[in-house]
Parts: sequence; structure tokens; C-alpha cells
Amino acid sequence: MRPILLSGHERSLNQIKFNRDGDLLFSVAKDKIVCAWWSANGERLGTYTGHQGAIWTVDVSPNTILLATGSADNTVRLWNVKTGECVKVWDFPTAVKRVEFTPDGSRLLAVTEKRMGFLGTIAVLDINYENLETQAEEPSLRITCTESKATVAGWSYLGKYIIAGHEDGSVSQYDGKTGEQLENVQAHEFDNLISDIQFSADRTYFITASKDKSAKLISSRNLAILKTYVADTPLNSATITPKKEYVILGGGQAAMDVTTTSARQGKFEARFYHKVFEDEIGRVRGHFGPLNTVAVHPSGSAYASGGEDGYVRVHHFDKPYFDFMYEVEREQLRK
Amino acid sequence: MSKLANRADWADDEEFDDPSALPAQQVTTNKDGTKTVVSYRFNDEGKKVKVTRRIKTTVVREHVNPQVAERRTWPKFGLEKGNPVGPSFDTTSVGENIVFRPSINWKAQAAEAEKNGGEKGSMKDQLKDKKVKCRICSGEHFTARCPFKDTMAPVDEPAGGAGGAGEADESAAGAVGAGTGSYVPPHLRKGAAGGGERMGGKFEKDDLATLRVTNVSELAEEGELRDLFERFGRVTRVFLARDRETQRAKGFAFISFADRSDAARACEKMDGFGYRHLILRVEFAKRTT
Repeated sequence: MRPILLSGHERSLNQIKFNRDGDLLFSVAKDKIVCAWWSANGERLGTYTGHQGAIWTVDVSPNTILLATGSADNTVRLWNVKTGECVKVWDFPTAVKRVEFTPDGSRLLAVTEKRMGFLGTIAVLDINYENLETQAEEPSLRITCTESKATVAGWSYLGKYIIAGHEDGSVSQYDGKTGEQLENVQAHEFDNLISDIQFSADRTYFITASKDKSAKLISSRNLAILKTYVADTPLNSATITPKKEYVILGGGQAAMDVTTTSARQGKFEARFYHKVFEDEIGRVRGHFGPLNTVAVHPSGSAYASGGEDGYVRVHHFDKPYFDFMYEVEREQLRK
Repeated sequence: MSKLANRADWADDEEFDDPSALPAQQVTTNKDGTKTVVSYRFNDEGKKVKVTRRIKTTVVREHVNPQVAERRTWPKFGLEKGNPVGPSFDTTSVGENIVFRPSINWKAQAAEAEKNGGEKGSMKDQLKDKKVKCRICSGEHFTARCPFKDTMAPVDEPAGGAGGAGEADESAAGAVGAGTGSYVPPHLRKGAAGGGERMGGKFEKDDLATLRVTNVSELAEEGELRDLFERFGRVTRVFLARDRETQRAKGFAFISFADRSDAARACEKMDGFGYRHLILRVEFAKRTT
């Protein structure tokens, strides 16, 4: 496969996201602009400018009408995907590290940083599609993380729960309507922050990536740990492929240690694991820095990775990827 | 005023070829249905580059969601506003092909591929179209293997070089090398050996296993030299002298081994080895004083 290199950013990537149809790819980096790309050929559709600081997170509504971004300038911005105009700015006391729409797009969660005396919070904002400019000013729900701040969060199936990953390596489950904490599980090693949470297509389970060099597959309903994928490097991102039973992990030496290691030792590769058997089945190299974020096309035909080197690489899978099967899988197919 | 502005300035005479202007893009349709597009652009160094592309167009029809089809007609916005349809050079490029075959024992396969393609293959490839030429008799063998090695000096070396050294040893301790014509520093003269203190004693042990490599190509890299010499044992240090301004190699290098016997073996094997377009000369480094 020939990767498409997207070099629209001048600084390291923070998050990339496909829309639900998979034809668009959105990327945010530390350089204050949001880029929208056609995933098929890597053509840039446009940029969204307005943020004053590094942009930590991006998400697109399921109908691809609105785009939400969270930034280090303490704002969440809502953009019109088609025109690139900013339709709404919400101010927060601290930086926003993660935003995500509910599966139906009616609500948006924003994870705020713990800083300057403010505790980390998860705020839920109601989204109105009738008139894009008129959005509710105040969050409809605010969850305060008193123990350990939330680093990432997402919605479970039907927006029923909010699942949050914390700085201390624990994963907690909140009620999506009341914000009450229902469950808290120490999924990863203590004090190894959870760097990413991405859900399966039906959002009944999700994968967490952590600095403790492992990724875990966890059930949304009761936070039971289903699978563990062990890597040899701190992980920044993990995703579940919809078509084949794989997971893709991205990571690498922390940015501050990179200069002391060579490209090969730095382990700047996307790692593919079999979702069920937990074996590593291959790696894709190409980045010159750690992978900060990986995302997979909703149809499972491609994946993209964004690195500390400022590049996004879009890979459209070719035949061997789809052909690979374990012996047991083949046997089952024959029956 | 407006009249003046409209009139072309005499300095902008069209006959002068503006060096910054680029010839227009040419598109020709070939017989086999492909198109040849010749376009010009400036590269990063400001040089004009002619790009010739042969394009074969294959129409792939795909049924998509009407929303997706509608989105394809969206105009570009933001920094891309007004740019033509199609990926632009400065944001989108295609990387080199990656072979990705998922497999359970991918690690073993990757290691094997590296061994075959990485080390052996490249070394052989490097030497495949190299012609070996002896510097003494211009025969097709390494200089070190020349049958006339002991009887003839290399063509480019002064003939008197070998004889002079013996005389220097015989000259009296106090003499200022008058007889030999070349200056011999006092501490190297006979009788002065062992006298005086050496500085930087910790490097001394190193010197025993250090090779001096000369006649190194100016395009050489430390990494390559390391690869070359690592076959004989653990290399602790590779020093390649470089020109301060051009950063090119000056033509000599020092290789320190962890073990002296490895160094001796490397010295024997690598002397006369063809590297890049030159033949290496390897000897033990002389003591630094």
C-alpha cells in the first residue's frame, strides 16, 4: 500500500478523525488550525482558523454538519463543516483536552484540564442543528473529577454512559443523563495516564491506550476488561478496525526522549494486533516521530496516523490485509 | 493618471523574458489513451523544474450515499480557498510503497528480510560494478595483494620515503634531523623514548586497538564505516575527519575496537578494501603524543 502524506500542519498532530461516511478526515495539531481532507486522495478541502492556541481535540457530528474542537486557549469551538465558519465559542476556565459527540449528535462532551485551582471536569453541551448560530450558553451537565482528572472521555452505546479515562490509569463510567458515577475500575497500572479511548462501531466496547505500554479492550456496560494488548513502548492512541478483527496501536518514545534514540529504536510504528487472539501481527513504519493519534476509516478500508513529526499518513489497505486469517478462522469458514 | 497606469511601462517590454515566468502547461493525448502532461514549477532551491507526467485515467464508478456525493461538490475554503480541484503539491504527496502482510510470525520474517536485503545484499550490490585496480601495477587486484608489493612503491608515492626512516633512527639524539632532511621532534628521536610525561593517559589504552584508515572517499559516513568494521568485532569509536566548512570527509578516519585482536584482524582484512570508489589503506594508528 502507498500511504498518502498530508503535510498541512507545521507542528505535531494531536488528533485525527474520520466522519461517519469516511469521506472526510479532520486533523488538529499544535499549530492552531484545523484541516479537513478528502480521505480518498488526500486533497485538502479547507481549513478552520480562529483558535488562539494548540488544538487538542476534534470531533465531527454524525451528519457531518458541525465540527467541534477543543483547544489550549480554553475554548470549545463549533464550526460549520461546509463553509469553515465558526458558529459558536464556549469559554472554559482551563484547556479542553477532549470533545466527542453522542452517537445521535444531540450532545457534545468536553473534558477540561485540571489547572490553576480548577478541578478537571466533563461538561455536556446540547447541540442544536436547526439554527447553527443559536446554541445553549451553559452546559446541561457538569461532572467534576475530584480524585484524578479525566484525560479522555467518550459516549457509550446510545449515549447511555459517559466513559472516562483518568490520569491515574483508571476508567470510570458515569450515567449519561445524571452524571452520577456508576463504576470505577483501575484498568491500567496506577499513575500511568490513559491517553486515548476509542469505541467500536456499535459502542458496546472500547479500547484504551495507556502510558503503561498496554492497550485494553473494555466492555462499556460493566467495564469488564476483555482483552489486553501488550506493547514495548508507551502508547498514545488505539483504535478498533471495523472490517477485520484487528486493533491498531500507536505510540513511541515520549517526545522529549526522541532525540536520544534512532528512528528504529524509537519504535515509531503503527502496531496491528489481532483483536481476539491478542497477538501482534504486523507493523507499519513511516513516521519520524511517535504516533500521537490513529484513526480508522468507518468502513475499515483505510487507516490514518498522525505523528509528532507533523505528518498525517493515510493508508488504504490492500489485499494481504483482508486475506490474513488464522487457521481456526479458515476452518470455520470451510464449515 | 489613469492613462499612465494603463500604458505598459517601457521597462516591462515583452521581449525581455521574465526569469520568474513559467512556460504554460502542455497536455498531449497519446495513442494508447494516456495523457502526457508537461508542467514547470520551482523547487525549494528556486530552480526551475520540468515535470513530465504520463497519466492513465481509469474511471471507477462507485455508489455512495447522496450526502457524500453532495459533499464532493463543496467549494474549498480557508487556506485552500480558490485553489483548483485536485490535491496540491505542497500539502499532499504520496509516500513510498509499504509492504504490509499481517502474519503471526511477522517478527521472524521481518528479521530475515532485513538480513537478506539490508546487509548482504547491499554490500554485494555496492561491489558488484566496482573495478579493482592495483595502485602499484595497475592490475586487477587489490594493492595489498599485488605480487610486486615489496619490490615496487605505489606510483604516486615518492620513492625515497622508505629509506629515510632508517637513517633517522641512526642519527644522534641531539641532532636536529639534519641528515635526513625532515624534522624529527625531540621526543621521537632515539634515546628520548619514554622520556617526558604524556597527557590524557586514559586514551592510551584505546590507541592499542585503534586503526587509522586513509584514502577514504569524501562522501563517506561514520555509519557506513562502522558497518564496515563492525564485522570484525565491537567498535567503540568511529572518528571521521571532516572539513569544517563543507562537512565533507577529509579522507581519513580512526576506528577504535574494544579488542586489539579484532583490530588486527580488521587491519589485515580491510587494508586494500575497495570502498566507494577508492581503496582503503588501513594501519594501526600511531601513538598520539
